[in-house]
Amino acid sequence: MNYYEHTYITVPELNEEGSNSIKEKIEEILKKNDSKIVKEENWGVRSLAYSIKKNYRGKYNNLYIEGNSKVIKELEKFERYDERIIKFLSMKIKKIPEEESGLTVTS
Amino acid sequence: MVKRKEKGKKKFNKGGNALFNKSTAKPNKSCPLSGKGAPEINYKNIKLLKKYVSDTAKILPSRITNVSFGKQRALSKEIKKARVLALMPYVGN
Repeated sequence: MNYYEHTYITVPELNEEGSNSIKEKIEEILKKNDSKIVKEENWGVRSLAYSIKKNYRGKYNNLYIEGNSKVIKELEKFERYDERIIKFLSMKIKKIPEEESGLTVTS
Repeated sequence: MVKRKEKGKKKFNKGGNALFNKSTAKPNKSCPLSGKGAPEINYKNIKLLKKYVSDTAKILPSRITNVSFGKQRALSKEIKKARVLALMPYVGN
């Protein structure tokens, strides 16, 4: 089992229902490949440094995942075809950090 | 007479070196990201990364910032990660 850090950016106009449905779908994919979300961070709506698919702002979500490489492949496959998700990045990490990052928004 | 000439020569050489040698202008040569109490290099720490990027969003060379070789490599990796997530720009204004 490996640890992964996964961040995805969605369209800023997305309502709570939409972001919940994306999360449910991600959890479903993780469950299928016996993986789980260890930690979660919400970075809120931030302005982007450059426009992505004609969006100037984006909603950031950060996940820490415990699982194998197959999960990431499936996850990225789903995100590539979902129009609500404009960008994502996943990377392998050695251990999960305990403190919250400076980008976290409490709401 | 001979002594005076030597003195003049020495001064000229020093001035010539200072023009090309940038490190002489900065007395502090230790790496700001190494040692105890150094900040962690992470793509989420945008405030830190922005210090090591030029106005046009290019990564500054370590000969200007005095960052050690290993830390410079880590720094450039994290800056590139931040660029992918649009936390930092690829090109500046």
